Amino acid sequence: MNQNNSYYKKRNIKNILNINLLIYIIFILITLVTVVPLLKIFVDSIDATANYGINLWPNKPVISGYKIIVSTVALYKPFLVSVYVTLVGTLLGLAVSTIAGYVLMQYEMPGRTFLSYLLLFTMIFHGGMVPTYLAMRDYHLINSLWAIILPASLNVYNTVLMRNFFEGIPNSLFDAASIDGCSPVRIFLSVILPLSKAALASIGLMFAVSYWNEYTNFTIYISDANLRNFQVMLRNLIIEDTSLAAASSAGVYQNTVKSAAIMVAIIPFMILYPFLQKYFVKGINMGAVKE
Amino acid sequence: MKLTTKQLKGNSRFKKIWKYRWFYVMIIPVIILSLMFFYYPMLGIRFAFFEYTPFKGPNFKGFANFEELFSNHQFWIAFKNTIIISTTKLVLTTFVSVVVSLLLNEVANLAAKKFFQTLIYLPHFLSWVVVASIFSIILSPQHGFMNEVLIQIGIIDKPIYFMAESGWWRKVYYVVNIWKETGWGTIIFLATLTGIDPQLYEAAAIDGANRWAKMRFITLPSLSQTIIIVLILNLAKIMNLFESVFVLYSPKVYDVADVLQTYIYRQTLTTPLPNFGYTTAVGLFSSVIGCFMVLLCNHTSKRVRGRGIL
Repeated sequence: MNQNNSYYKKRNIKNILNINLLIYIIFILITLVTVVPLLKIFVDSIDATANYGINLWPNKPVISGYKIIVSTVALYKPFLVSVYVTLVGTLLGLAVSTIAGYVLMQYEMPGRTFLSYLLLFTMIFHGGMVPTYLAMRDYHLINSLWAIILPASLNVYNTVLMRNFFEGIPNSLFDAASIDGCSPVRIFLSVILPLSKAALASIGLMFAVSYWNEYTNFTIYISDANLRNFQVMLRNLIIEDTSLAAASSAGVYQNTVKSAAIMVAIIPFMILYPFLQKYFVKGINMGAVKE
Repeated sequence: MKLTTKQLKGNSRFKKIWKYRWFYVMIIPVIILSLMFFYYPMLGIRFAFFEYTPFKGPNFKGFANFEELFSNHQFWIAFKNTIIISTTKLVLTTFVSVVVSLLLNEVANLAAKKFFQTLIYLPHFLSWVVVASIFSIILSPQHGFMNEVLIQIGIIDKPIYFMAESGWWRKVYYVVNIWKETGWGTIIFLATLTGIDPQLYEAAAIDGANRWAKMRFITLPSLSQTIIIVLILNLAKIMNLFESVFVLYSPKVYDVADVLQTYIYRQTLTTPLPNFGYTTAVGLFSSVIGCFMVLLCNHTSKRVRGRGIL
C-alpha cells in the first residue's frame, strides 16, 4: 500500500512537471508569434542595411528612417491631423457618453424609455455607407474633419458602459447633494464625474484608440491630401512605392522609411500601453458582467 | 416661474417633466447627433428605389435596382464571400481563443500569466492599416521574412505571393485575424474560468480526477455557455467586414476576397459615374441581413442566458 502510494505520487509529480513544461513551451511559441512581426518591423526601421530578409538584429543601427519622417511635411502633417482628431474626438466622445449615460440612468424620467430605444436602434440598423455619404454631402462635411469626429462621438456601447458605471455610485450621494440644493447639472459635474475617474479613463481610452486608428471614414469622406491622417498616409506609403522620392535620394532604403512609419503609428500607444492595460480589461469586464 | 409651477401642480405628469427639465436640456445635443448622423441617413435608403447618379435623378424606378443586383454575378460573389469569410473567421478565432484561455488557466505562476496576457492583448489595439502593413512586409515575395525563412528551411524554392494569390488570400486573412484578436478574445473566457467554484476541482481531485479529467468534466462544461454566448454576440457583426478586408485585398484576389461592403465602396467611390441608387440597394440588402442577424442573436441570447445583447 505504502509503496503503491509513493509510486503514484512520483508519477504524478513527473506528469505535472511535463505538462507544465509543455504549457510554457507553447506560451513561449505564442509569445514569439505575437512579438516577432513587431520586432521585425522595429529592426527594419533602424537598420541601414535592411532589405527585409531574416535578420532580427540590426546590423548597423541608424535613425535615418525616423529623420525622414520628421523632416518631410507630407509624412509628419498626417501625424498632426491624427493627434488633433484624437484629442478633440476623445473629449467630445467623453462628453457625449457621460451626459447620455447620466440622463439614461434617470429611470423615473418621462420619455427615458423612448430615448434609450432611440439610441439603441442605431446599433441595430443603419443607413449604410452610401446614404451616410450622401447625408455628409448634404451637410457639406465632405473634406472636413468634423465628418470623422462628430459621428464617432456618439457611441451607444460606450454610453451604456458609462451608465452602468454611474449606477454603481450609491444613490444616497445624489439625494444628499440634491437636499443641499444641487441642480442636476451640478450633481453631474461635482459628484458623478469626480467619482468616475476609472470609467472616464477606460472609456476615454477606447475613444482615443478608435480615433487614432480611424481609417475607413477618412478614405470615404476625405480626399484633400492636407487632411488625411497618419493611417491613410501609412497605407499609401506601403502601397505606392513611388511616393518615397525623398527617401531614395537621401540614400535611405525605402523599407527603412516604411518600417519607421509603422513604428510611428504604434509607438504612442506602446508607450502608454503598460500603464493603461488594466483600464481596458476593466472596461470590457464592466460591459460583460453588468447590464 | 412661480405661476408656471402652480399651474402644473394639478398635473403630476407635467410636474414630473418639469422636475427633469435640466436632463432634457442636457440630452438635446445627443439627440441632435443621433438624428443628424444616424436617422437622417436612414431616410437615404429611399434611393434604393430611385435612379440616382450625379447627373440624373433621383427618379423613382421601383424595384429595378434590386432586379439589377440579383442578376449581377459580381454581387453574388461578394455576398458569398461575406458569409464564408465572416463565419469561418468567427469560428476559428473563437476556437483559438478558447484553447489559449484553457492553457493560460493552467499556468500556475501568476507573474508569467500576467506577462503572457499583457503581450497577447497588444495586437488588438493596432489599427487594421498597421496590421496590414506589418504583414504585407513580412509576407512580401521580395525578401519578405516568411518567404526567406521557408526558402532557407527548404520547404519552398520560389517565393509565394501570399496576399496576391486567390489560393492563399483567405488563409492569410484568417491567420492575421487570429494574430490580432485571439488575445483579446481570451478576456471573457478567462473571466468565466476564474469564476468556476474551486470546490468543484477539490471534489474532483478527491474522486481521483487528473488534470485532463478536470478540464474535460469541469472546465469545458462551465465554459460552453460562454462560448455559445460569444458566438451569438459575434454573429450579429457578420456583415461588418469592411476595414479588415479593404486593407488586405487587391484586385488580383477579388474573386475570393471581395465582400459586400468593399463592393459597395468600389462601385460608389472609385468609379467616375457612381450609381447611388444601385449601391444603396446593395447596402440596404446588407443592412437588412445585418439587422436580422442582430435581432436573431438578441432573441437567441435572451433564451440562452436570460438577457439580450441590447
